[in-house]
Amino acid sequence: MKTVFRYALKYKWIIIIGLVLMLVELGVELIQPLFIRGVIDEGIQQNSLEKAYLYLFLMLGASAVSFIAGIFNTYFSSYATNAFGNDLRNAIFRRIQGFSLGTLAKFNSSTLITRLTQDVLMSENLVFMGMRILLRAPLMVIGSLIMSFVVNVKLGFYLTMLTPLLFVFLLITARYGTKIFSRIQRRLDGINRFIQENLSAMTLIKVNNRMEYESNRFSKIAGDLRDDMIFGLRLMESILPVLLLIMNGSLLIVLFVARDLLESSSIQVGELVAIINYALRMQGGFSMFSWLIIAATRAKASADRIEEVLQAPITQYEYDEFEKTKTGSSVEFKDVSFKYPNDTLKVLKNISFKIEKNENLVIMGATGSGKSTLVNLIPRMYDATEGQILVDDKDIREWNIAELREKVGYVPQSAILFTGSIYENMLWGDREAHEESIYDSTIKAQIHESILEFDDQYDTQVGQRGVQLSGGQKQRLSIARALVKRPAILILDDSTSALDVSTETSLWDAIKDIEVTRIVISQKISTAQAADRILLLDEGEISAIGTHEKLLRESELYNKIVESQSRGGSFDD
Amino acid sequence: MINFLREPFGQKRILNKEDIGNKKNKRRANDITGTLKRLWKFMRGEKNVIIFIICIVVITSLLGILGPYLVGQIIDKYFVPGLFEGVGKVLLLLLFIYVLHSLTTLTQSFLMVGASQRTIFNMRYELFNHMQYLPIDFYNRRQHGELMSRMTNDIETLSQTLNSSFIQFTTSIITLIGTISVMLYLSPILTVLTITIIPLLVVGIKFITNRTGPLYKIRQKTTGELNAYIEEVISGQEIVKVFSQEERVIKDFEVKTKNLRDVTFWANLYSGMIPKLMNVLNNLSFTIVAGIGGLLALTMDNVVTVGTIVVFAEYARQFTRPLADLANQFNQVLSAIAGAERVFQIIDTDVEKDHGLIEDTNLKGAIDFKNVTFSYNKDQHEPTIKDISFSIKSGESIALIGATGAGKTTIVQLLNRFYDVDQGVIEIDGIPITEYKRDVLKDNSAFVLQDPFLFKTSIKENIKFGNLDATDEEIIEAAKRANAHSFIMKLSDGYDTIIDEEHTSLSTGQKQLISIARAFVRNPSLLFLDEATSSIDTITEIEIQDALEELMKGRTSIIIAHRLNTVQAVDRLIVLEKGIIKEMGSHEELLSHKGIYYKMVNG
Repeated sequence: MKTVFRYALKYKWIIIIGLVLMLVELGVELIQPLFIRGVIDEGIQQNSLEKAYLYLFLMLGASAVSFIAGIFNTYFSSYATNAFGNDLRNAIFRRIQGFSLGTLAKFNSSTLITRLTQDVLMSENLVFMGMRILLRAPLMVIGSLIMSFVVNVKLGFYLTMLTPLLFVFLLITARYGTKIFSRIQRRLDGINRFIQENLSAMTLIKVNNRMEYESNRFSKIAGDLRDDMIFGLRLMESILPVLLLIMNGSLLIVLFVARDLLESSSIQVGELVAIINYALRMQGGFSMFSWLIIAATRAKASADRIEEVLQAPITQYEYDEFEKTKTGSSVEFKDVSFKYPNDTLKVLKNISFKIEKNENLVIMGATGSGKSTLVNLIPRMYDATEGQILVDDKDIREWNIAELREKVGYVPQSAILFTGSIYENMLWGDREAHEESIYDSTIKAQIHESILEFDDQYDTQVGQRGVQLSGGQKQRLSIARALVKRPAILILDDSTSALDVSTETSLWDAIKDIEVTRIVISQKISTAQAADRILLLDEGEISAIGTHEKLLRESELYNKIVESQSRGGSFDD
Repeated sequence: MINFLREPFGQKRILNKEDIGNKKNKRRANDITGTLKRLWKFMRGEKNVIIFIICIVVITSLLGILGPYLVGQIIDKYFVPGLFEGVGKVLLLLLFIYVLHSLTTLTQSFLMVGASQRTIFNMRYELFNHMQYLPIDFYNRRQHGELMSRMTNDIETLSQTLNSSFIQFTTSIITLIGTISVMLYLSPILTVLTITIIPLLVVGIKFITNRTGPLYKIRQKTTGELNAYIEEVISGQEIVKVFSQEERVIKDFEVKTKNLRDVTFWANLYSGMIPKLMNVLNNLSFTIVAGIGGLLALTMDNVVTVGTIVVFAEYARQFTRPLADLANQFNQVLSAIAGAERVFQIIDTDVEKDHGLIEDTNLKGAIDFKNVTFSYNKDQHEPTIKDISFSIKSGESIALIGATGAGKTTIVQLLNRFYDVDQGVIEIDGIPITEYKRDVLKDNSAFVLQDPFLFKTSIKENIKFGNLDATDEEIIEAAKRANAHSFIMKLSDGYDTIIDEEHTSLSTGQKQLISIARAFVRNPSLLFLDEATSSIDTITEIEIQDALEELMKGRTSIIIAHRLNTVQAVDRLIVLEKGIIKEMGSHEELLSHKGIYYKMVNG
């Protein structure tokens, strides 16, 4: 909670002004019963028209003051709330940008979206309510208590005699309420997860004839939610009747003693009316409580979820402009092992090898053998658990991380383009890139011609709301983007899988002469044959490393792959 | 000052004149009465409870009116004139009323909570259960996100509304009528003066909702845009990092979130005015009652008494509250009804037809396609499957091969009645498949799909999903035959290991082996392998191939694949092209035929 609402501190003056305005409104509400006493005791009972007029105008004036204060309170609270929410949202987003991929995987993207939108909205609501009614309800109760003493000490005493009981009752329900409603929140999350899973597995459920089985499982968790809801809501609903009973009981006590006090003329009728009025106002204040408990529980759950993000570890680093190197870099792995956070299994085990400047290495291996993980370690997407990785003979942890990443051109398995024009996407590689260097890269990546065929050419919009590109086009664009960067190390993670043979050959030809160290993950023997060396991974260990010929001679696994690919083609285009 | 109110804190105005009160594209229910009737059907089981609740609500509302009236009477009849005889009796009556009032309030809410939550449960369950039986086509045409929101948001809104609105609605109306009647009885003049605030309320609320409506719409759109941006950046985070573009996306985000901030500011501002409006109207009614009431008491005889002022001061509150509630809840109720309508739309979607009569049969698995034609869309100009005929003997293995769109998957879908044929007949063991109960077809077949989906539960439960009656021994036996046993035993909790992306990283190959074990434990006579190895690389495929071949033994198997090396072990191959069978025969036969298959193999 604290971390989240710390962001509101920046607006403390606006919040304070808003609260003062709220107090003005409250003051008017608390003073009204005094006016009614005035009308009765000084006006009606004394037959004074003058006084009656006086109080009428006082009341009108007070209403006006309260209204103006209320309107301004709305302005201030809306402003503070939104400014706070905006800061919070930006802070969460900035935090996420500092996440390592491991941390990011821990929160998946849908929960992060919820946190950035829904949960921020809930926290905003709490601030908004806080400046308007959260404090107002208890203050109304306390204010009414005090004012009833001001009007008449004796009646005030009788009125408040039972209120301690009420406080105890509210405290107990609040405690149970928060507990039960946090549990309800968890159950709701559970139901959402269940439905999500069910929808994703629909085909599987159907072909296994498990519809009834799923319905039964759902019925159980939905039933648990129903039972908790009934219990929680009943608890909340019991507040009002108990409250009414206690407050009405206090009123009865007041009326009962008022008889004697009136008889002995130690109080006036107007005072009694004012006290009754305060009792009603207290009731109004108290009746907000159950609503407040539910709202606060929800807001707390949201704030906690946001806090998880704000407190997750991040890596921070300086951004600078760095000199481009003209040649490729060497990369060396020294006894590197790696396991993902929270995982027990080592994905990479004692990997040692060196790639020389401008070498062309192809990495092969089965799914799950650790190929992608291995290349991910070079730009420090993850840090090795054990061992050392050197780029240009310097430990990558000693490089400025931005400078290191500046050296790496990385094309991941799934080609991702961002909303914007093709040209803008190319600028991701280098924001200062000239047109010629962009065209040069797209020509090398074999996509320039295709781009020119689009209606808007380089201004064609891509990404979520952009044109539909084929898998091959996306892959080539994402390779071009990496080339724009003029990297020292070019990593292609199975990123030519959707290209047909002739395009792929042209692509390899075009980038053959660039001075860059190339690391290519591929399934294709044809690609491997053209490499300087091949690194074969098996269950996280180096199974073999060397030229195609060497591996043919020495590696059984390599021969198996060659054999499996020699028979039969495929219907893919 | 005026400037501050127009553009406070430098916040630019968002709504133009023509936007205000614009009611276009409001997402509201089309058929409110119809939807309410349907809703009532769900509550039918609670009919008696509801009737009882209505009776109690009437009593509660009347007691709520009676209490303040008696207090006024006590003041007028006893306290003002200074007569204190008999006041004790009235106080006792008042005590009785108060206790009863609390009891009825408690009873009505307790009953209502139970009735509404049970109803919501029924709806939730009915919707979920219905969805399990909807044709697969339904899911292919809709986005998961949209269905999720039906099942969660819409139901939640309904739950909240049903709980509070029903009682409040009834109470509000009775209280409104009751208080105004008593007020008229006590003092017509003061009543007329007091209800002058109602037009003010209406005008005020209209002023506000005319602005909040369009603003909410803009906010929804802006939020949607922001969500899309977040999704894009988070899923492309690898790229953002490797290109060191964090600062750039943060800046973009700040621009987008600023838009949201602006619109939310105005939306909050206007909606925040509602309580302030209520407040000032409360204060005004109090002023009218106390101030003008006082003047009337002084200037005219016996028109207004002190007691009347006391009663009115309370009643004025009692009737502005329900009015505010009604105004506030009106929109919530409407959106809940619209939500219910969307839920009913799903419930009204036809489930898969099941006219079959044959039950509990063990199929042998001989398949015949006789002149089958099928299109997914009826306005499609070329059918997906064109007049296809072929036979598969019981226990035979067949591979369907061909390019994407050739109709391979369609054949398997038709055989499993995901869709029904347009023309022709499909028979199993000589009987048209429509004459079997769907359960028979499903219970006799097993699938291994391209994406090996595992549930977030233990490995054991995941295998057991194939056959709920399987014993632990049978599960282990199935895993052994699927080549999964050895790696499962290496996991920390063996078969009880919970599948959880965060903590257990199984490779795609391993997941696929578990799903093969799931098919084993089903022990089907018909087996379908739908691109079971295509998301797996060639090396892993070698391992899985053994398990699949073991699984195919003695079962009628249909394999869909586009990589040819995986299908050479089958008895016969069917080569499809644009919904037509081009070639059919064994590997050797097709090779000697020197047609499409020959060309592909020698690529």
